[in-house]
Amino acid sequence: MESFFARYRDLIVLLAILLAQVIGLAMQVRQTAAGTNTLDPQDGSGVRLIRLWANALVSPPEKVIHAAKMGTERLWLDYLDLRHVREQNQELQKTIDRLRLEQAALLEDARQGQRLQSLVDFQQKYIYKTVAAQTIGSSGSDLSRVFYIDKGSADGLGRDMAVITADGIVGKVRDVFPHSAQVLVINDQTSGAGVILETTRIRGILRGNALGQPQIVGILYDQRIQPGEKVLTAGGDLIFPRGLPVGVVEKVVRDPERENFIDVVVKPAAHLDRLDEVLVITSTAPRFSSEQQQDLATSEQLMGPEAEAMKEQKKASAIMAERLPGLTDPNAPAVNQGAIPANAQPGQNPPAAAAIPEQGQPKLLHPQHPDRFTPGTAAEIPPDSDAAPAPDTSPETPPSVNPKSQQNAPGQTDTQQAAPRRNP
Amino acid sequence: MSVLDADFRRNLEIRRYPMLVYALVPLAALVLQAWLPWVLGRFGRYAWFDLPVVVTVYFALGRPTPIQGTIMGAAMGLFEDALSHHPIGINGVAKTVVGFVAASAGTRFDVEDHTIRLILNFLLSLLSGAMYVFVYRILLGLDLEWTWFTELFKAIGNSIIAVALFPALDSLQIRD
Repeated sequence: MESFFARYRDLIVLLAILLAQVIGLAMQVRQTAAGTNTLDPQDGSGVRLIRLWANALVSPPEKVIHAAKMGTERLWLDYLDLRHVREQNQELQKTIDRLRLEQAALLEDARQGQRLQSLVDFQQKYIYKTVAAQTIGSSGSDLSRVFYIDKGSADGLGRDMAVITADGIVGKVRDVFPHSAQVLVINDQTSGAGVILETTRIRGILRGNALGQPQIVGILYDQRIQPGEKVLTAGGDLIFPRGLPVGVVEKVVRDPERENFIDVVVKPAAHLDRLDEVLVITSTAPRFSSEQQQDLATSEQLMGPEAEAMKEQKKASAIMAERLPGLTDPNAPAVNQGAIPANAQPGQNPPAAAAIPEQGQPKLLHPQHPDRFTPGTAAEIPPDSDAAPAPDTSPETPPSVNPKSQQNAPGQTDTQQAAPRRNP
Repeated sequence: MSVLDADFRRNLEIRRYPMLVYALVPLAALVLQAWLPWVLGRFGRYAWFDLPVVVTVYFALGRPTPIQGTIMGAAMGLFEDALSHHPIGINGVAKTVVGFVAASAGTRFDVEDHTIRLILNFLLSLLSGAMYVFVYRILLGLDLEWTWFTELFKAIGNSIIAVALFPALDSLQIRD
């Protein structure tokens, strides 16, 4: 017996090490209700400990190398390469002045948007607090698209926090260590983010493919989806706030496994391969800073006469609409105050009816027989479409979320879905 | 089966290195593997190399017993897994096998010949990729899209790195 162990010692050691690892692997994978295997999103305490050790060993040298690289870059940029800085500074000052004016106008729009959203019972969340972090390294494998940042739980980071740049979303925090964190990038095959196509309002789940391209998977073939269409976060995943840019549609490919389904390859808005600094959204809540509120007040003051004139104009339009014969149904029930006309376009000012619901907006008659000559009727709008819209059943949307809020796109009110439909 | 026999050994010259080399070279390989693709930016997607495999193969080839190569491969693989978000053990299994095969091959071939070492490095890199996919897709039954081209390019990249790295590490040997 002893000679057997001595003879096959190498092989026995190999098998023992392999067996231990296979058992360890089996404990990290779980089976879904559908019978397929999936990764356990939450690491066990033992696994987490190993990751912590590995991170503690690799992060310090990575930080040192990264700091040396940044130091060299700064030395060059801040001291050696300062030609034309004065001119650039003046240009930037002008840009800041212009942007402040634009920001004031945008704040006015945002406030208007907030009012509209409260009308249709939204709970819009604005990014409240972010933590800036430097990227310091990656997993080193093209099959595991994660990277590490130099901020961790000591800086207020937690699991499943959204990671973004000014250009768009990047990923989510997957694991947090005391002074570093692991971020799962949206182009990884195991990532998942709820997204919506801006124009066609089609929802889907974004994940990466083998080539590291993010793609919206498993949506029914729709010829309206064209390259160039913007993709935004849908907000249903409870990780990314609604309305953040994700990218643009690059191409549409057929799903290799399912007929009539397509995958939409997305060109990410954020430069996923050139990330130096990212922002981690640590909390979301509606808030304007004092400076922004000041700008808003200034904007309101400046726009006072203009706003008054617009209000008068809208009131006149409403009165005229009431007097038009045949369009008003005196017996129709009162329209919900939250109603917004179906033809409202994103980015437009709210129509008079939505802005002043108490003034009695015209109640429109339905056509007896929808015809193809009336815009917005016939096949598009069924006769009983006054009912509330059907709840969205997109897979990434958790059932606990108010279906009403799921219907709407970020940054714009998806009034075609949220409001009761009325024929012109 | 004679390759697996512990008694079957050629009269090998055992390569020995300072302890610092044993500690720092694998660590440097792991850190650079995590850092280089990132710092290459947009070219990071073309970072077709796997430094831990190269280092595992190098040290395993020079050891007299497969056990040391096996343990070294397992340690490197587990470390790599710990830095990824995949289950810990996938790279571990792959590189354990690579370490064992490399150490076994080291007892059968003349590993002083640089060309043979490069060929072995190329083949073992392919084996590492194949083992990874086998464990991920077959053993664990998880979905994974992958292409053979990437693994092939990675093996070529590893061979190119080995051309420079192996002689550099050879120079660190303790010579009697």
